Amino acid sequence: MANTSHIAKEGEIWAVGGGKGGTGKSFFTSSTGTQLAKKGRRVVLVDMDIGGANLHSFFGIGRPQKSLTSFFEAGSKLSDLTVGTELPNLSLITGDIHSIASDNIKFGQKLRLFRQIMKLNVQNVVIDLGAGSHANTLDTFLIADKMIVVIVPEVIAIENMYHFVKNTLFRKLKSTLKDYGFKEIVQHIWDRRQSYGIKNLKDLIEYLKASFSYIGTILDSELANFKIHIVVNMVRSNQDILLGASIKSVLNKFLGISILYSGYIEYNDVVWKAVRERKPFMLNYTATGCAKQVETIVDNIMHGREVSVPGG
Amino acid sequence: MKDEDIKRWQMTLEVGPNASVHDIKNSYLRLRKLYGGGSIVLEPLEDEFPEKRRMKILVDLEEAYTRLLELHRNRTSPGRPAGEAAEAMAVGEGPPGGPATEPGAPYAIEETVFSGPALRRVRERLGIDLIEISKQLKLRTELLKALEEERFEALPEEIYFKTHLKSIAACLDLKPGKVVEDYLGRFREWKRAR
Ligand SMILES: Nc1ncnc2c1ncn2[C@@H]1O[C@H](COP(=O)(O)OP(=O)(O)OP(=O)(O)O)[C@@H](O)[C@H]1O
Ligand SMILES: [Mg+2]
Repeated sequence: MANTSHIAKEGEIWAVGGGKGGTGKSFFTSSTGTQLAKKGRRVVLVDMDIGGANLHSFFGIGRPQKSLTSFFEAGSKLSDLTVGTELPNLSLITGDIHSIASDNIKFGQKLRLFRQIMKLNVQNVVIDLGAGSHANTLDTFLIADKMIVVIVPEVIAIENMYHFVKNTLFRKLKSTLKDYGFKEIVQHIWDRRQSYGIKNLKDLIEYLKASFSYIGTILDSELANFKIHIVVNMVRSNQDILLGASIKSVLNKFLGISILYSGYIEYNDVVWKAVRERKPFMLNYTATGCAKQVETIVDNIMHGREVSVPGG
Repeated sequence: MKDEDIKRWQMTLEVGPNASVHDIKNSYLRLRKLYGGGSIVLEPLEDEFPEKRRMKILVDLEEAYTRLLELHRNRTSPGRPAGEAAEAMAVGEGPPGGPATEPGAPYAIEETVFSGPALRRVRERLGIDLIEISKQLKLRTELLKALEEERFEALPEEIYFKTHLKSIAACLDLKPGKVVEDYLGRFREWKRAR
C-alpha cells in the first residue's frame, strides 16, 4: 500500500467511485469539476478509469491528444498531460485509452502517480475512479480528502457499494496499522475470523482495540477521519431519495462508518442528450433540476453539510 | 437523565441536539420502518449481521424515542399536559410500517410483523387468557386459536375475520391498522400459494 500521508498537498483531492458500473460517476465527476471551476477554483480532472476512460466525452473532446498512457509508458510528467476545456480554469487529464489493465500498474508507478496528483498546481483535483474495487482503485480513493460514492437506487448498486466501502475500510485499517508495526496482523486475524468469532469489520475493529490497547487510540483517531460522501443518482421518487439516508444509517449502525449524505440527482433524459450533443452539462443545461442538484451537492461536499430528506 | 444517555439516544435516533418533537418522530418512524426488515439496504448485509443485531436496534429505537419525548415534555411544559410531545406519542393509526404499538409497550417491542404466533406471544406477555378475549369479544376460542396458529383453512372469509383482528389488536393494545395489514398479507400469500 502506498503511504502518501507525508506528502504536502497542493489542492484538495476529491475522488468519485462506488463499485458499480454505469451509476453516473463520470457524469458526476465532469459536472462537479465544471461546477467547482464556475465557482472560480482552478481545477484538474483525472480520469483513472483504466480500461474504460471516457471522461473526455463529457466535454465533447473526441480523441484526446495526450493521456495517462504516456505517464505510464513514456515517463511523462503528469502536469504536462493536461488538456484544456471551454473553461480556462478547468483542465482534464485523460485516462489511459490504450488500456493497460489496472493490475499492470506497479507499486512504484502508483506512488509516482499519487505524488504527482498531489503536486498538481490547482485548488481542486477531481478523480473519476471508474467501476470496480481493485486494490489500485481503493488506494486512489484513500488518498482523497473527500471520498465520494455515486450509487443508483437498485439492489446491485447498493451491494457493490457496500463491497467497495468495506474493502476501502479494510485497506485503510491495514495501511494504518502497518505504519505502527502491525504488518500482517489484520489480514492474519481476518483470514481466521471464524475462530476469533469475528463476523464483520466492526467486530474486527473491536477485537483489535480490545486485544491491543494502544491500537485503540490510533484507530479512533484514524477512523474519525474516515468519512464517505454519498450521492444517489437517477432518483425518480421520494423513496429513492430516502435511500441515501437509509444507507447512511445502516453503514453507521452496522459498520461504524461515518457517512455524509451529500445529495441526490434526479433522473433526466437531458443528461445523456448532453453527452450525445457533446455539450458539457453544467454549461448548457443550467436551468434543469439535475444542474441545481449538482450545485447543492458540490456546496454540501465543500462544507461538510448534508441534504435534508423528506419526512419519513 | 444523564447527558451521555441523552447523547446516546440522539445518536440512536440520528437526530441533533436541537431536534424538535416533529424531527424526533419522523426519524423514529423512518428508522423503525428501515430496521423492521425487508429493505434492499439491509438485505446485502444479512449474512454478516445476525437477526439479533437488527432486533437490538429496534429495541434501542423504542427506548430512545420514548426517552427523548419524555425529555421534551419535561422541558416544555412541567406540570401541564404535554402538548406537542403527547401528540407525537399518539402515533395512532399512522402510516403502515410505522410503529406497531404505542411506544414504550414493552410486550410488543420484539414483534415487527404481526403473524399469528406474534399475536400469541404478545398476548402471553400481557398475561391474557384466550378465554378472557373470547368472552370480551364474544368470539369462539376455536376461532381465536386458529388465528394464532395460522390455520388459515379454518378461518372464515377475509371480511369477517378482518373485523375480529381489529378488536383483538385493540385488546392487546396494538395498532389495528398494522395488525390487519400484516396478518392479511400472510393470509393472502397463503391463499395465492394454494
Ligand atoms: N441523472 C441522470 N439521468 C439520466 N441519465 C443519466 C444520469 N446520470 C447519468 N446518466 C447516464 O447514464 C449513463 C452512465 O453514466 P456515466 O457514464 O457517468 O456512468 P459511470 O458510472 O461513469 O459508468 P462507468 O462505470 O462505465 O464508468 C450515461 O449514458 C449518462 O448519460
Ligand atoms: Mg465512467
